[in-house]
Amino acid sequence: MMNVACNDRDRIFRDGTRVEWAALEAHAVSCPACADELRAWKSLSVAAQEMRDYTENPASWPRIERALAEEAGRKTQPARRRSWLSFLPGISLGWQTAVAGALVLVLAISAGWIFIRGPHRVENDKSLLKSAALENVERAEALYVQAIDKLAAEAKPQLENPATPLLANYHEKLAVLDSAIADLRTEAG
Amino acid sequence: MGTMGLALPWKARIASVPRERESRVEPSEHFSGGPNPAVVDAITEDASLAAGCRAGNLQTYERLYSVHGARMRNLARNLLGNPVDAEDAVQETFLKVQRGIASFRGQSSFVTWTYRILINTCYDARRSRLRKKEVANDDSAETLRPEPRAPGAHPSLRMALERALASLTKHQRDVFLLYEVEGFRHAEIAGMLQITETASKNTLFQAKKIFA
Repeated sequence: MMNVACNDRDRIFRDGTRVEWAALEAHAVSCPACADELRAWKSLSVAAQEMRDYTENPASWPRIERALAEEAGRKTQPARRRSWLSFLPGISLGWQTAVAGALVLVLAISAGWIFIRGPHRVENDKSLLKSAALENVERAEALYVQAIDKLAAEAKPQLENPATPLLANYHEKLAVLDSAIADLRTEAG
Repeated sequence: MGTMGLALPWKARIASVPRERESRVEPSEHFSGGPNPAVVDAITEDASLAAGCRAGNLQTYERLYSVHGARMRNLARNLLGNPVDAEDAVQETFLKVQRGIASFRGQSSFVTWTYRILINTCYDARRSRLRKKEVANDDSAETLRPEPRAPGAHPSLRMALERALASLTKHQRDVFLLYEVEGFRHAEIAGMLQITETASKNTLFQAKKIFA
């Protein structure tokens, strides 16, 4: 049996081996101070068990299970959406751009075809041209254009000499839009 | 929250039941020779739990709960001070495990990783409760509000201990609860609290010195 002294006590309490603990207990038989310390130290461990309550709560697992299932359900929903579009990620960005370009070209050709063929179709459909509803639309459109022109005329002095940064910004944006519209018209011939 | 990258040596596996009290000595100091069968079993069980959870198997989550649920709830209750918050923390932990299992690389014990998440969840809950109190202009300090426990528990002893725990620092209280109440080893506590084993031993010593 190894021998320990009172000044070994704290070290053994902190990080003692089984042999050192046994030696301390043997020492405590003849040392009242160490016996008290040892008793107090052990009683803490015993008292700590009072804070242990492992009684089962039957409602606990079903609640967790439900939450886990809901979470798993939420996870699989976006995955399903992804799998529906799964043919896209397999195609390189270049091909995707080419496909998008081709789609735009098809749409443009279709629109051109309808534009060219439209008048013939409308000529054959005289009843639509005579419709009162069409007249109403044309009248409303004319009024709308007039109203916009009037508003533009009224706003022109203020926009050309903007009093606030907001107006200056607005004027700049309108100028950009006008320029873009003019470019498009030029391109369209 | 940094709960996912926990690295704990494989030898520090968590048993499903707390160890014996009375002059507890770290078993790793006394093992010699070949691998301990109990440790090997714990490693196998841990890997199996991790794999099942990664596969999204609800039965594995149920096994994790049946083995560790009561202990997790008790730890959460002692950290948070009431059973309702503890139930929420345990549920939140399971959800976090489910969300984060893909990032778990298996370099550490899965169960320790789970407890680490639980402890962080309890910290978050405590912080959140404190913030709510501050918002409500409640000047009273954040204190644990223990609820009645098992009928067999000695109420006065438990209350005295809980009052004494309130005098410890948060860190000392956490180490004391993990070691003395839940029966974890210092190596396990080190993994959970991301401290060294020596720091865990020293902290426990300081905590018990205050009590004794």
